[in-house]
Amino acid sequence: MEIRKVAVIGAGVMGAGIAAHVSNAGIPVVLLDIVPEAAGNRNAIAEGAVQKMLKAQPAPFMHKRNARLVTTGNIEDNLDLLADCDWIIEAVIEKLDIKQALYEKIDAVRKPGSVVSSNTSTIPLRDLVDGMPQAFAADFIITHFFNPPRYMRLLEVTTGDRTRPEAASVIADFCDRSLGKGVVHCKDTPGFIANRIGIFWIQVAILEAMQLGLSVEEADAVMGKPLGIPKTGVFGLSDLVGIDLMPHLMESMQRTLPKEDPFLEKSTIPELVSRMIAEGYTGRKGKGGFYRINRTEGRKVKESIDLVTGEYSPSGKASLESLDASRLGGLPALVMHPDRGGQYARRVLAQVLGYAASLVPEIADDIVAVDQAMKLGYAWKFGPFELIDKLGAENFVQLLEEQGIKVPGLLEKAAGQSFYRTQEGRLQYLDIQGRYQDVLRPEGVLLLSDIKRSTEPLAQNGSAALWDIGDGVVCLEYTSKMNAMDPDILALMREAVDIVKRGYKALVLHNEGENYSVGANLGLLLFAANIGTWDQIEEMVEAGQESYRALKYAPFPVVGAPSGMALGGGCETLLHCDAIQAHAETYIGLVEVGVGLVPGWGGCKEMLQRWISNKRRPGGPMPAVIKCFETISTATVAKSAAEAKDSLFFRADDGISMNRDRLLADAKARALALAEDYQPPEPIEISLPGPTAKAAMKMAVDGVRLAGKATRHDVVVSMRLAELLSGGDTDITEMLSEEDLLRLEREAFMDLVRNPDTLDRMEHMLETGKPLRN
Amino acid sequence: MANYTTPLRDMRFVYNELLDAEAIRALPGCEEVTPDLVDAILEEAGRFCEERLFPLNRSGDEEGCHFEDGRVTTPAGLKEAYRDFNEMGWGALAADPEYGGQGLPNVISMMVEEIMCSTNFAFGLYPGLTHGAYNALVARASEELKQAYLPNMVSGQWSGSMCLTEPQCGTDLGLIRTRAEPQADGSYRLTGSKMFITAGEHDLSENIIHLVLARTPDAPKGIKGISLFLVPKIAVNDDGSLGEPNGVSCGSIEHKMGINASATCVINFDQARGFLVGRLNKGMEAMFIMMNTERLAVGIQGLGIGEASYQGAVAYARERLQGRALGGAKSPDKPADSLLVHPDVRRMLLTQRAYVEGNRALAAWVASELDHSKRNPDPRRRQEAEDFVALMTPIVKAFMTDTGSEVANLGVQVFGGHGYIREHGMEQYIRDARIAQIYEGTNGIQAMDLVGRKMPAHMGRYLRRFFHPVRDYLESKENDFTLHAFLLPLAKAFGRLQKATAHLAQRGLKNPDEMGASATDYLRLFALVALGYLWMRMADIGQQKREQDPIFYQAKVDTARFYFEKILPQSSALFASIMAGSRSMMKFNDEAF
Repeated sequence: MEIRKVAVIGAGVMGAGIAAHVSNAGIPVVLLDIVPEAAGNRNAIAEGAVQKMLKAQPAPFMHKRNARLVTTGNIEDNLDLLADCDWIIEAVIEKLDIKQALYEKIDAVRKPGSVVSSNTSTIPLRDLVDGMPQAFAADFIITHFFNPPRYMRLLEVTTGDRTRPEAASVIADFCDRSLGKGVVHCKDTPGFIANRIGIFWIQVAILEAMQLGLSVEEADAVMGKPLGIPKTGVFGLSDLVGIDLMPHLMESMQRTLPKEDPFLEKSTIPELVSRMIAEGYTGRKGKGGFYRINRTEGRKVKESIDLVTGEYSPSGKASLESLDASRLGGLPALVMHPDRGGQYARRVLAQVLGYAASLVPEIADDIVAVDQAMKLGYAWKFGPFELIDKLGAENFVQLLEEQGIKVPGLLEKAAGQSFYRTQEGRLQYLDIQGRYQDVLRPEGVLLLSDIKRSTEPLAQNGSAALWDIGDGVVCLEYTSKMNAMDPDILALMREAVDIVKRGYKALVLHNEGENYSVGANLGLLLFAANIGTWDQIEEMVEAGQESYRALKYAPFPVVGAPSGMALGGGCETLLHCDAIQAHAETYIGLVEVGVGLVPGWGGCKEMLQRWISNKRRPGGPMPAVIKCFETISTATVAKSAAEAKDSLFFRADDGISMNRDRLLADAKARALALAEDYQPPEPIEISLPGPTAKAAMKMAVDGVRLAGKATRHDVVVSMRLAELLSGGDTDITEMLSEEDLLRLEREAFMDLVRNPDTLDRMEHMLETGKPLRN
Repeated sequence: MANYTTPLRDMRFVYNELLDAEAIRALPGCEEVTPDLVDAILEEAGRFCEERLFPLNRSGDEEGCHFEDGRVTTPAGLKEAYRDFNEMGWGALAADPEYGGQGLPNVISMMVEEIMCSTNFAFGLYPGLTHGAYNALVARASEELKQAYLPNMVSGQWSGSMCLTEPQCGTDLGLIRTRAEPQADGSYRLTGSKMFITAGEHDLSENIIHLVLARTPDAPKGIKGISLFLVPKIAVNDDGSLGEPNGVSCGSIEHKMGINASATCVINFDQARGFLVGRLNKGMEAMFIMMNTERLAVGIQGLGIGEASYQGAVAYARERLQGRALGGAKSPDKPADSLLVHPDVRRMLLTQRAYVEGNRALAAWVASELDHSKRNPDPRRRQEAEDFVALMTPIVKAFMTDTGSEVANLGVQVFGGHGYIREHGMEQYIRDARIAQIYEGTNGIQAMDLVGRKMPAHMGRYLRRFFHPVRDYLESKENDFTLHAFLLPLAKAFGRLQKATAHLAQRGLKNPDEMGASATDYLRLFALVALGYLWMRMADIGQQKREQDPIFYQAKVDTARFYFEKILPQSSALFASIMAGSRSMMKFNDEAF
């Protein structure tokens, strides 16, 4: 069965978000909610939800036009809309009777074989289908999305005894391929996997911090980076998700968990937390939480709560010897340290990881599911079992014994070995019988990390590596910090061209970093500028231009496969590719003006070429130049791969993969398709309007300046960009070659990089992560 | 005999012709600092130092300080000189008029300091320490403490000392043990023992104001738990009069290699009453404010000694007749030619001269930027100047004291055996100069400060304040053929410095030993390029003004040429050494040492 149409019932935050995300996959979706009391518009709730989502940030829609795929309605008048839906998702209030009443209505109209799922996080599946007909129960599953549905990759899927296997597999496959989710199969137990462990972790981490007398900054610093957990740690995370959620979650856990579950001993809400909720300190959505921003006296001061007194005072940087130790010695050094940070890590890890180890196979069939759930649902870099491996299973057993915690059976099996190992290049995990099994990837998933485990790179330096990914395709991976482009990457790029030319069919640019590339190595550039090595900077600009050009004109196809941010110099690599296969969550843009520069690695050249040859926008070079100017001078960043096509960062026929894990395989297929009868592109030859266009852009800039929206240096940078994009001292009768355009870029770049205001911008960006408005 | 004449002509040249004197005069509070006033100050200072301090230099060294029953007596004559020095206001030159100072720019007061160091280095330390303590108090002390202590310190009636070192800690101040117990009235009681305290006890002033680093009972461990306290030797009553002794005593004085007229003391604090300066546990920060000015001042000590040694050597070389010129007698009427005819003697004299005059220009450049950093109304200009001073401070301190010693050594060499005996005073310069390479942070520490802190700060922003002006200057002179003899070698040396800088910045990230191993070479390379830049500019001026005063300006051009041909090429060797990295030293077997 194929999923061609979907319905979501319940247009709250979750339901509406799920509907939006289904539309992101290009699938029509019906969104229904109840008829509000005394309302003229009977669809007001669902319609309002869509309107609200069109304005929300981060945006639930990958492109505004996707909203048109959402049909809104209400459950009294529009149930007939469900008749042709292949999948109906229930996301209404967590009340069993309401849900079941709804199911009866759904069952009356849905087509046979359609799948019904609930997004519940607190009601067991067996209760939901209790008393429902067999035909319904056979088609019923739980699909537990995480908030926000577009961005959180975890989807927990639970089936019941009566569910027919295909109902789950069809939805899992759809969610994997079309919605890009990491699907994890869970047992029908409270909180499934991620929240069962995650909420226990939050609760234990809060209680232990209070008991050991840590400040919230200290607790978050220990719970964050050293453990591979986002730097919000535990208190920052609570502020983010809402502190008032805690009592609800606790109450539901208390109601549904077996009486002997260790969770229950830890489920008391601390008095301070109750008081905070009562006073409206529910986190970022309220008056503040464990942290708050104090805006008195016209200044913004970040403050933290004192866990003993409940008073706020300005936040400080956590300074603990154990944290210093962890920077060098990693997690083991932190856990071994005698100070309160080390003690805290020991107590929390022993309880949480020990708890996780005790839950397999109760909540999941294997440890891989548990690790996946925590990584995708809580953004942990390492799952609980991977963390245990980092500490050493043997040491961890000892730690549990020290803390007086019962050692789970699974852990006893792991003693003397590890939960994961690499065997003949294959990743294996320990199953519940204590035997190693291969970690299997779904069909069509190709991970660079798996390839790296089993082969040696074709070439490698400090910032990049080249991998044979099979079938004659080579992958260029960046390995520098933040995948920033630097001379080493450029060098390996040129080497890649030689290597592929000699014995391969195609090249793919891809990596598994959080971001494809955040741009050129700004620190290196700033340092070089500070010591006035202008000739070396110019050489670096030229080297980038040459390397990217070599990719473009190589006698084989090059496919860019980005995910996450692709900014500045990273964006420019993609502009030189023959085709793009992008992860849907790709954020691309030429943001150089933010640091007082212009794109200098062929970005302006490629954008000009794209807009000038854009068939949908005729009218010669002038509108094209203006369009490029608008895009680059405002540092426009597309908020999705779909949006990137609007600004021509991607071409109309470039591919989009919803699932990140499938990106490399898709890109490889694309590259192989292009490799048949491949011809490199023709060199660019365009004409530009010259000073007349510059004058037009100057008027625009002056207008923005007068409106108070451009700073002094904005004007300088914009005008230098305008001169470059208009072709410098040229006119429409003159043909400009690729070399001419690159020279114009270089000249503008070198002018600006010598400007002290530009250097101030770069320094500010590096030190604060924010643009300087000078 | 050693002799000394204040180098007024060169000082005027540096101040009026090399620096932008008008820009200094445009600074708030400097409106009256006209060339005439500067001349008058330097002349007067020169006269006083030549007449009163210089004659005490050797006698003070011979006699040394005396210690008896906890009392320290300075050598004969110092007390009177100190009294007159203060009466004439020499100790108050750069101090704020609010506390009785004259508010002159640092660039002037540092020239006066040079004269003092040339004529009597050991004497200069007494007012020098007072000035250092003054700087820390101005920057960090409460208004109450400032009003109570600063006027008497500026007038010299009270002097100052800085009490950092303890027996177990010199460079590593995190190990400090002296304790400060908080009292109900907000003051503290300090107990502990400090050593190597310059001017810690003496008979020149009626009270001594000690600035003491100590830790309070619940302070964090290490350097983050150090606070700064003001502890007077004699308690000061509320009405400003002197009260009872305050539990501060001198345990002994050191017997040293040089600066014998300066008392270097063990100071014991026994429940001495003290007052917090600045914030609790932020003592190092307060101390660094003072240390930065002090480090510049120490660099000037190297310069002062160098000038004195050079003058002694030149006079001797001119008079002393020995041997004949290699190419035939120059003074056939005399029994022998003067030392001046010998190439190797000329090499020594010109090396001394090139360093001394180059260092004077460097010190003045940094001092004038110090003035901009404090007084310039444009915040951006202030920031730039502050960056520059931060960058150049370790260079001034280490390079100018290293070359100070080298120059003093050459001075003795020119004298031959007569330099080695005490009679001519030349060996005293070596002994006196030596300490400047050690105190206020050894020169090795200065080099680490340069590569470890100043270089990476704000991704190289401090460096910009040096590299850009030099780069711009080189670019501006690209087509000036009269300067090509200087332009090309300087551009090359500058290129080496750029490469070494980029290299160290990158390598150091991966392996800190790489930075440590090359730090001293790097600092020297940096300084040689800085001097090269200044010498080229001085030669530039010299060429343009040659007609006005041929001897002076031609000598500038010629010294510059000597520097470019005989000294700057060292940059090439230093570069090679830096690029060779740390292996040869770090791989060496510890056991084999």
